[in-house]
Amino acid sequence: MVKTVFDDIKNTLKGVEISETSYDERGYHLAIESQKANIINIVEFFDGKGFYLEDLCCVDYKDYLELVYFFNNHKELCRVKVALKVESDKPAAPTISRIYTIANWYEREIHEFFGVYFENHTNLTYLFLHDEIDCYPLRKDRVPVTEDDRRLLNSFKPEEYEDGFFINLGPQHPSTHGVLRVVVKMDGEYIVSAEPVLGYLHRMHEKMAENRSYLQFLPNPPRMDYLGALNYNLGHVTTVEKLCSITVPERAQYIRTITAELNRISSHLLWVGAFVADLGGLTPFLYTFQDREHILDILEGIAGSRLTYCYFRFGGLYNDVDDAFIDATKQFIKHLRGRFGMYEKLVTKNVIFINRVKGIGILEQDKVPKYGCSGPVIRSTGIPFDIRKTEPYAAYDRIGFEIPTGTIGDNLDRYMIRIREMEISLNIIEEAIEKLPSGPFKAEKVPKKLKPPKGDIYHTVESPRGELGVYIVSDETDTPYRMRWRVPSYSNLMTFPYLAKGELISDAIATLGSYDLVIPEIDR
Amino acid sequence: MMNEIIQIVGKETVRVVIGLIGVLILVVVNALMLTWLERKISGHIQRRIGPKEVGPFGLIQPIADGLKLLGKEILTPSNVDKPLYFLAPVLIFIPVLVSFIVIPFDVCLQVKDINVGILVILAFSSLSVLSILLAGWGSNNKYSLIGALRSVAQNIAYEIPLLLSILPVIFMTNSLSLKDIVEVQREGWFIWKWQFFAFLIYFIAGVAETNRTPFDLPEAESELVAGFHTEYSGMRFALFFLAEYTNIMIISAVATVFFLGGYLGPFLPGFVWFFIKTYLLVAVIMWFRWTFPRVRFDQLLNFSWKILIPAAFINLIVTGGLLKL
Amino acid sequence: MGKGGFYLETKGPIIKFAIAEKFINLARANSIWPMTFGLACCAIEMMAAAMARFDIARFGAEVFRPSPRQADLMIINGTVTKKMAPTIVTLFEQMPSPKWVIAMGNCAISGGPFVFEGQYNIIEGIDKLIPVDVYVPGCPPRPEGLLEALMKLEEKITGTRRFPIPEQKW
Repeated sequence: MVKTVFDDIKNTLKGVEISETSYDERGYHLAIESQKANIINIVEFFDGKGFYLEDLCCVDYKDYLELVYFFNNHKELCRVKVALKVESDKPAAPTISRIYTIANWYEREIHEFFGVYFENHTNLTYLFLHDEIDCYPLRKDRVPVTEDDRRLLNSFKPEEYEDGFFINLGPQHPSTHGVLRVVVKMDGEYIVSAEPVLGYLHRMHEKMAENRSYLQFLPNPPRMDYLGALNYNLGHVTTVEKLCSITVPERAQYIRTITAELNRISSHLLWVGAFVADLGGLTPFLYTFQDREHILDILEGIAGSRLTYCYFRFGGLYNDVDDAFIDATKQFIKHLRGRFGMYEKLVTKNVIFINRVKGIGILEQDKVPKYGCSGPVIRSTGIPFDIRKTEPYAAYDRIGFEIPTGTIGDNLDRYMIRIREMEISLNIIEEAIEKLPSGPFKAEKVPKKLKPPKGDIYHTVESPRGELGVYIVSDETDTPYRMRWRVPSYSNLMTFPYLAKGELISDAIATLGSYDLVIPEIDR
Repeated sequence: MMNEIIQIVGKETVRVVIGLIGVLILVVVNALMLTWLERKISGHIQRRIGPKEVGPFGLIQPIADGLKLLGKEILTPSNVDKPLYFLAPVLIFIPVLVSFIVIPFDVCLQVKDINVGILVILAFSSLSVLSILLAGWGSNNKYSLIGALRSVAQNIAYEIPLLLSILPVIFMTNSLSLKDIVEVQREGWFIWKWQFFAFLIYFIAGVAETNRTPFDLPEAESELVAGFHTEYSGMRFALFFLAEYTNIMIISAVATVFFLGGYLGPFLPGFVWFFIKTYLLVAVIMWFRWTFPRVRFDQLLNFSWKILIPAAFINLIVTGGLLKL
Repeated sequence: MGKGGFYLETKGPIIKFAIAEKFINLARANSIWPMTFGLACCAIEMMAAAMARFDIARFGAEVFRPSPRQADLMIINGTVTKKMAPTIVTLFEQMPSPKWVIAMGNCAISGGPFVFEGQYNIIEGIDKLIPVDVYVPGCPPRPEGLLEALMKLEEKITGTRRFPIPEQKW
């Protein structure tokens, strides 16, 4: 795939500088330098080939800003990085939101954080920040917001129209989604349009990354997604290890796999409870929390905390696991296997539940590349895309497991996929415990002040919500120059305005619940 | 002094007044007890104990709740429609009090045996729909309005099966008075004398009438913040709360009277049997709440208009036919 | 700030009866209804406190009301950002008194781990906006911490503590 894309670009698009890079060092296969004149052609080329826009970010090198586009393919791994340089004084670039719908939000975010103006963009209002901000936060020097930019950014105000009214879902939400606000234009009980408003929990992780060393930043990723904290920790740690070429001992890899899968199960358990609670059945919520407490006790024994674990370090783990952990995990696997039958009877076979979720919120397969969905959302449409299989990390390539897929992409498919994923995770943990080698749990000679070599790297892991990407630009000092987090809930949420149009509000809430959103990771 | 009063107003009036006071006490105590029962049942279904620290087995918990709600600030939002806002909680409590007048707790424990007893209950329960609408409209709040409108549509749709499922029993009894209906069941309770389906239809429609899960869309917590009583606080909210629990009691009481034999039963005194049967049904209604998710709104209305009403009609016609033969 | 625990009292009672106050305070302490309000990670620990293992319902506090008009207690769990701050103040003002606030977690007490030089988006501690009655430190605090906060709040309302503090043996 990489060779064909390389040749195609060389043949069809003239004047484009393309080079092959080492995937093991950089995390992407091809690098393209583009100009403002031919960026649209390049993007249209990738759209024609069925690639999806994995990420769009901006890096501030003080003389110029660089817009970085990452494209990838669901069917076969081929990651392409397209870099576009824009001037740092009054930066502007053409928009690609006509081609990729998800770019709408990525460009809004870059506009409010860096000040890049995107021509022909329909809606450049504030996404994350509030209107009293007076500078562009992620720029290296302090650049104040210009007057016409301020007018552009502040123009989102829901207005009245005759046949319907606006309703706010959130930010104080009785369901467990966190601080998400959706402004819904309604016509009776039907939704005409739904517009999510983000930024109520923007905690400046990316700015903090530039002010903290690599080791000091370790507590932050678990707080981005507190339910899948170990997977975020894993993403951060493996990216930096790849950048610094640190090899992790085998025992640590297997233990990382075991604990990350335990975390995945606990995240899915909470989701099952919250999803059914959204629909009105409050009891399974308590049952799943009860099961989750077992996992929390197991992980507390080795990681020390109940929720926001920071267990992995660069080169291995914080401390080793003991026999108590292995025994407790084995017991827990047996316990949870026995519980699936009860959930089956209580929830999955319940007629009311099936009527609420079957055929609701159908996402078609051909819409998926426009949004860049990942995780159970994309697997429910039938595409078997899982980072643990396409780009294995930790010990996943040495353990055999299958990927569950759905058929039509409705809420019931997403529910069944997550139940199935829990069962598969139990199998993975069992196999990993059997194969657990002895040996050191931490690599030797990892410097306390990590100074990675100059360059950038992109690495992805599979969090319970989908594809989590970390892009680090390092300049040989002990703090990253830029750290960008590509979060799965962000691209999954972008499909919500499309799916909610014309639905009843109860269905829209069920669909929103089926995405498994965690808002702090969207707001970063 | 009692004799003088009796001489002035008449025996019957005194009896009715005493009965009314008794009913009032019963309603309040019952509503408090049902909140306690709900929390205990929900706790045990969810593998925990409910209120435990406040008195033995948490029995003083409802009194603490009531006192706390009494001591809350009386807050009136500034842009509500004041007459409707103030009228709604009062209006929702009147039907439940009136409905208790005609329910026979024992052979001689009935405030007044009106000969169109069931008609009184049905008429006044329709009034509670009006008070929900007043609450929703008067609150001047989008969520309250949506909740109130949902509740109105739901109540109108489910009153018809409620009535239609009671009619066969009335046919078999030839009387609208609740006392007569219980007396006829001395030969056998209606639930196993051909009216099992009527009982099922009545029960489902009754749960929908009281806005309980699985039909609790008007107060759907995860969609509309708290439904039609979002803007009420303190004692006014307590009145809505209590009215809901008393409604459950009335539905169960009417089901007991019509289908389960009322106060009939061996060994124990009549009213003990009545309360046992009623509270059994109340516990089943509470059990529903913690087991089932919510039904969506259009599915709810479809279910009523397309399934329950035809079933009730068929039941009615079959009963009428059997009675003729 | 009297023993009743309320700070901003808009219209207090004109006549106060000591015995009635005592009973009503006892009733208020035993039936504190929190509002469903979760911001970030600490919200999960608040939910865990309401679940079967830690069971806040034993103390009468499991009725989580979604509407602020029917709630007594607002538990601020999670970081308060500048965008969210007006909403929190509005919710607090909508609650009828007597009302109480528990600041749960380091972020609500003083900004937590997100305070760094050049921070532009969080409010360092919710007590800069609304009066707080009990602070629960931790990141996130254990659910037992929230239960202890409830005990402290009850002590603040009634003046006596429900369970005695076990004696320290060191």
